[in-house]
Amino acid sequence: ALENKSYGEWLRELGSLSLEKRRLRGDFVTLYSSLSGGQELLKWNGWGYNDSKFIFNKKGQAEFTGKRYRLGGMVLPTFKEWIEKTFGASLEHKTTSRASLNVNDVPPSIVNEEFLQDLRATKISYSQDAEDRVFRAHGHCLHEIFVLREGMFKRIPDIVVWPVCHEDVVKIVELACKHNLCIIPFGGGTSVSSALECPEEEKRMIISLDTSQMNRILWIDEKNLTACVEAGIVGQDLEKQLAESGFCTGHEPDSMEFSSLGGWVATRASGMKKNIYGNIEDLVIHIKMVTPRGIVEKNCQVPRMSTGPDIHHFIMGSEGTLGVVTEVTIKIRPVPEYQKYGSVVFPNFERGVACLREVAKQRCAPASIRLVDNAQFQFGHALKPQVASIFTSFLDGLKKFYITKFKGFDPNILCVATLLFEGDREKVLQHEKQVYDIATKFGGLAAGEDNGQRGYMLTFVIAYLRDLGLDYYVIGESFETSVPWDRVLDLCRNVKERIVRECKEKGVQFAPLSTCRVTQTYDAGACVYFYFAFNYRGISDPIHVYEQIERAAREEILANGGSLSHHHGVGKLRKRWMKESISDVGLGMLRSVKEYVDPNNIFGNKNLL
Amino acid sequence: MYSKELTSKKRDEFEDILEERRLSSDLRYAMKCYTPVIYKGLSPCKPNAIKSAVLQSEQVQYVIKQLAKEMGESPDIIQEEATEILDEMGHRMQLGAVRFFAFTLSKIFKQLFQRVCVNEEGMQRLQHAIQEHPVVLLPSHRSYVDFLMLSYLLYTYDLALPVIAAGIDFLGMKIVGELLRRAGAFFMRRSFGGNRLYWAVFAEYVKTMLRSGYAPIEFFLEGTRSRTAKTLTPKFGLLSIVMEPFFKREVFDTYLVPISISYERILEESLYAYELLGVPKPKESTSGLLKARRILSDNFGTIHIYVGQPVSLRTLASGRINRCPYNLVPRHLPQKPSEDIQEFVSDVAYKMELLQIENMVLSPWVLVAAVLLQNLPAMEFELLIEKTLWLKGLTQTFGGFIEWPDNLCAKKAVLSGLTLHSNIASLVDGHVVLNDKGMEDGAVGELVFRHALAVLMCATYRNQLLNVFVRPALVAVALQMAPSFRKEEVYSCFSFLRDVFSDEFIFFPGISLKDFEEGCFLLTKCDAIQTSQQEIYPTDKGSGTVSFLSAMFRPFVEGYQLIFRYLSKEMKEAFTEKQFIPAVRNFVFQLLEKGSTQCYEALSSDMQKNALSALVQLGAVKKKKMPNGLIYNVNQEAVSKILDMFDDSADAIPEHNEFLFPEYEILIEPEEPESPADNNEDEQGAEDTSKDAKEQEKLGAAGVADETFQSLDEETLEAMAKHETEEEKIFQMFKKQVAAEPEQIIRYCRGEGGPLWVSGENRPEEKDIPNCVCGAKRKFEFQIMPQLLNHLQVDSLGESIDWGTLVVYTCANSCGGANEYLEEFIWKQDYSMGCTI
Repeated sequence: ALENKSYGEWLRELGSLSLEKRRLRGDFVTLYSSLSGGQELLKWNGWGYNDSKFIFNKKGQAEFTGKRYRLGGMVLPTFKEWIEKTFGASLEHKTTSRASLNVNDVPPSIVNEEFLQDLRATKISYSQDAEDRVFRAHGHCLHEIFVLREGMFKRIPDIVVWPVCHEDVVKIVELACKHNLCIIPFGGGTSVSSALECPEEEKRMIISLDTSQMNRILWIDEKNLTACVEAGIVGQDLEKQLAESGFCTGHEPDSMEFSSLGGWVATRASGMKKNIYGNIEDLVIHIKMVTPRGIVEKNCQVPRMSTGPDIHHFIMGSEGTLGVVTEVTIKIRPVPEYQKYGSVVFPNFERGVACLREVAKQRCAPASIRLVDNAQFQFGHALKPQVASIFTSFLDGLKKFYITKFKGFDPNILCVATLLFEGDREKVLQHEKQVYDIATKFGGLAAGEDNGQRGYMLTFVIAYLRDLGLDYYVIGESFETSVPWDRVLDLCRNVKERIVRECKEKGVQFAPLSTCRVTQTYDAGACVYFYFAFNYRGISDPIHVYEQIERAAREEILANGGSLSHHHGVGKLRKRWMKESISDVGLGMLRSVKEYVDPNNIFGNKNLL
Repeated sequence: MYSKELTSKKRDEFEDILEERRLSSDLRYAMKCYTPVIYKGLSPCKPNAIKSAVLQSEQVQYVIKQLAKEMGESPDIIQEEATEILDEMGHRMQLGAVRFFAFTLSKIFKQLFQRVCVNEEGMQRLQHAIQEHPVVLLPSHRSYVDFLMLSYLLYTYDLALPVIAAGIDFLGMKIVGELLRRAGAFFMRRSFGGNRLYWAVFAEYVKTMLRSGYAPIEFFLEGTRSRTAKTLTPKFGLLSIVMEPFFKREVFDTYLVPISISYERILEESLYAYELLGVPKPKESTSGLLKARRILSDNFGTIHIYVGQPVSLRTLASGRINRCPYNLVPRHLPQKPSEDIQEFVSDVAYKMELLQIENMVLSPWVLVAAVLLQNLPAMEFELLIEKTLWLKGLTQTFGGFIEWPDNLCAKKAVLSGLTLHSNIASLVDGHVVLNDKGMEDGAVGELVFRHALAVLMCATYRNQLLNVFVRPALVAVALQMAPSFRKEEVYSCFSFLRDVFSDEFIFFPGISLKDFEEGCFLLTKCDAIQTSQQEIYPTDKGSGTVSFLSAMFRPFVEGYQLIFRYLSKEMKEAFTEKQFIPAVRNFVFQLLEKGSTQCYEALSSDMQKNALSALVQLGAVKKKKMPNGLIYNVNQEAVSKILDMFDDSADAIPEHNEFLFPEYEILIEPEEPESPADNNEDEQGAEDTSKDAKEQEKLGAAGVADETFQSLDEETLEAMAKHETEEEKIFQMFKKQVAAEPEQIIRYCRGEGGPLWVSGENRPEEKDIPNCVCGAKRKFEFQIMPQLLNHLQVDSLGESIDWGTLVVYTCANSCGGANEYLEEFIWKQDYSMGCTI
């Protein structure tokens, strides 16, 4: 019944805001740049919220500001020492970012006047403001943030548009095709693959298509446990709004505060709790995408179909090269009745990995299970706040004695697994016991809920740390891979060692932080996350050195049988290894899809291929 | 401390580890606190735990299951078999045994050797390497002493004792074998090609040791002791096993440490010589070793051990290895290495051997041996010293690592070498001679054998030099072989030699041009050659060097020719190596007995095998695997072709055999009308005085006549001519003319005069000489004398070809231009009856 009606009518029938109202809101957006989760709330040159950051207070103690996180407002007494010890960094040697964007540095906007006229006619809001454009010219790779702090991008979007619905997107794509312009879709802007960087050689006008105003849940189908959501919604809003109806998607990537549904689809995202809810490819029931050829979608919303290769898989991971994802039907689940964190200490990393493997083998992984190596354990320890209560470390008091003496755990070798159980209470407790029993077999020792919870909290906070490091000549980044179980240990050891070696060879004067954690378990392997940071004092071109080392680390991963990426995607950062990863023919298959769907390369961000 | 020796390269200093042993108690040394550094703080592990880890490993279990399935046996039985293999193979390192060894070896080494010199810095580097990554020790292999010495050395420097891959024949030595095992040796069967279980257990054992870093792995790239002191071509099996953990990224890196162990006098020197001559090698047995105690009273001089820079496998592999094959197959499955892996392993093996060679210390005696072998049977002592000193300079220019203390004068150095090697050579009446006179009254065969023995022993020392000299020397040989000095031609000869000698000397695979350039560079450096854009030619000054170098390698050039000749003519049927060696040895032996060759080194089974394998590689011999071993098939034509390449060489030495006439050079001299008969003297100084360009063109360049020539026997000639009494006058004329230069083989006198007839019979008339194809008359140009038959050694009456003289008539107008061949007319005159052809 709906198919003959206009989009506006259809929305009205569904009881959503009328298009007119949304148009108004769109104009409002143009005036004030953004609404909730928008850019005035966020740092322009770093990660996350403006009010949340690590600082050193007047006493020289580390502190995390703001009230958004549990760590907020707390003093971290041992953190300074850890930084100094780990990086050889000194608080006296500080480098500061530019305070604000220098508008004069910003490349001028290339304008296609005819397009602008047509655009005005659609009443879709847009902006050519320098700050708006710069904000959408980058993701969160180290070099991108570094450029923001100290330089300027050579090419940035010429205009930002804010469609508020699917039809707006259709119009924008049509106009872009008509005038042969370049569209780069922009969701949460959390990419770490250089996916958002504008190709320098792009001469056409570049339109940054910001999906942030397409953020409504269109409907919820409780019978089938699905919800249709506009693709611009960011993770935390989605969960919040679904929670109002008693549901959740359970998809929680570490970036979920800022990343968008459309972005997840475009990069093949993975969430922390995939063991229960699945990764994005398991969650998605239907995708609607606007391409230069037209709209691609399926005729029904079914759990599975055998109709040739799944066209969703052309879309998932397409990284904005084929079109704009506008609406996604996603599986939902009732909000779990009970959640419980937990942690286990292992005498060493090898035993920890062996335990995770066993858990995966028995298919009894909790919602999340992660294993951090000793360096990250030490780091977590360094972030222990002054106030006791919930943040007491298990290393304190008796427990410390028990672990280090009785059990023969060496604090410089031991490692920790953090756990998150979800479900109904009884089952959670049962499940918990099963996992702890397995852990015991591998010399594991339960280390309390608090440590587990703290571990997950740190996941969100750790991203803020880079900005602090940048102030003190420390640069760093994380990267990930997936690897078969039997190669996990070798890969972790070799990649960490390779990083240390490369640093030495490239003249890095202080030993780097090179640490990893196993963040996801599967039947056949695991996802491994690396953190890598070093003090770059004495190096003239730190970003270049950094990139060389990161590249070497990736080579090492590939040589150890790891994948090019588990969930960050390829973007432009990892393109060089695509051929090796999926073979010539594989690459050709992707290219031919691109050629058919977008022959004029309207979606010209040059990712992936 | 041992003074730093003059070398052309910067190398570490040596320290004599025996010095301290001579000053303090061996017992205390053996009981010292021994806490070797280990790989990154790893806790030591009992050998039994390693064994069970190997047995339980996926790799071994996989093969056990496979075999059980294939053979229909229960896996338990095969598992048991695997356990037995492991017991036979595995080491059982015990500190007690190590201490016992340390004590005994101290005693023995002090007795045997004057000094054991080690580069301390190398040991320090090794110590660092052991802590960083798994280490593979790759020593050169010249003697059984090698691995005893290396373990001893590591113990002395408080390093973890290596786990050694040694040949299983050691197990025959009951007590010593067990002691060795307890000191850390493990054993592999020499050949286990077909036995998959053995291979799986062995490979996994080595890899487990390596991955866990319990101890350095030690094995010999050469596979066996080199009997010739030349570095043997590498074996790849063990090397690819120890490299695999890195390829599969089970370890971050692996250090390969080339170690050069050189002996001033090799313990097994005479044993080797016997062995090379085909006298069977005594099986290693404890009683044999005890008997070997006899040698304890002997002096074996100094040992130099140079521990090279550890080479990172990761660095070597960077950018070379395609990772895919290892990513797509589970790592425990046995997988045949891909082609690039195999190529890489081979490259690494050669690189390591070249590093061994580079750091191999050469003693003055090595130089003496090289000079002496070119000046047999005797050499004036003073001249030997002078030449040795000259060779020292040359060796250093070529980068050889000579141990020659600054203050040691040449005479002393040579004398001390002669003293140490008094079994090989001695000083008699101011001349140095080889000791080959064991039994003065022996039969010819016995004499040949004694001499061969002495030559081969002496060659063992010269050979140490060859490793360093091979590139420049082969350029020198190529210079003499090549038809011109054009670079391409010299290079193509060089390249040919390099291919032929690919198993004889160590060349890095595939870089012929680079080797050639290096050779040229070194020769230029010592002013032996000059190069221009297109040409390479010896300098006046450098002709001595060039001929020395080519003489140095002549035994190989000649020896290979002999062996090739044998193969191309005699080996018509398929044969095995077991048949080939004695057969070719007999062949060479007979030639030596007859005196028709002087190449004693061709008796060496090592050279014979290498020559055969060179032919296999060049495609001239086909090797087939048969159930009862390898079968060889010679492609005679191809071998002849290879021989032809050699025969272009001006170097090739004439010698007689059943198939080919020996080669000589023809010397041209004008005939004095009436000369006194005093020119029957040494022809060495004779020069080409002919000004006739055409003559040169036809008869070739001047050279040296062969010394084996026997002067024309007057009586024989007379007897031949007896029945021609009425022609005595003519024959007497012939005789008289010839007497002035009895060795002549050709008389050239175009146009005027005529041939010197040997008989009055059967002389052609003018009508007998047909006109040239151009219509002009033919006239006499030159005649071939019967003396040639003597030179060609076809002088047995009635059985060989024969002639009185051969008279050649050519076109009076010299038609036909310069380049094309024309048919000429030849008149054969015999002593008795004539005929024409």
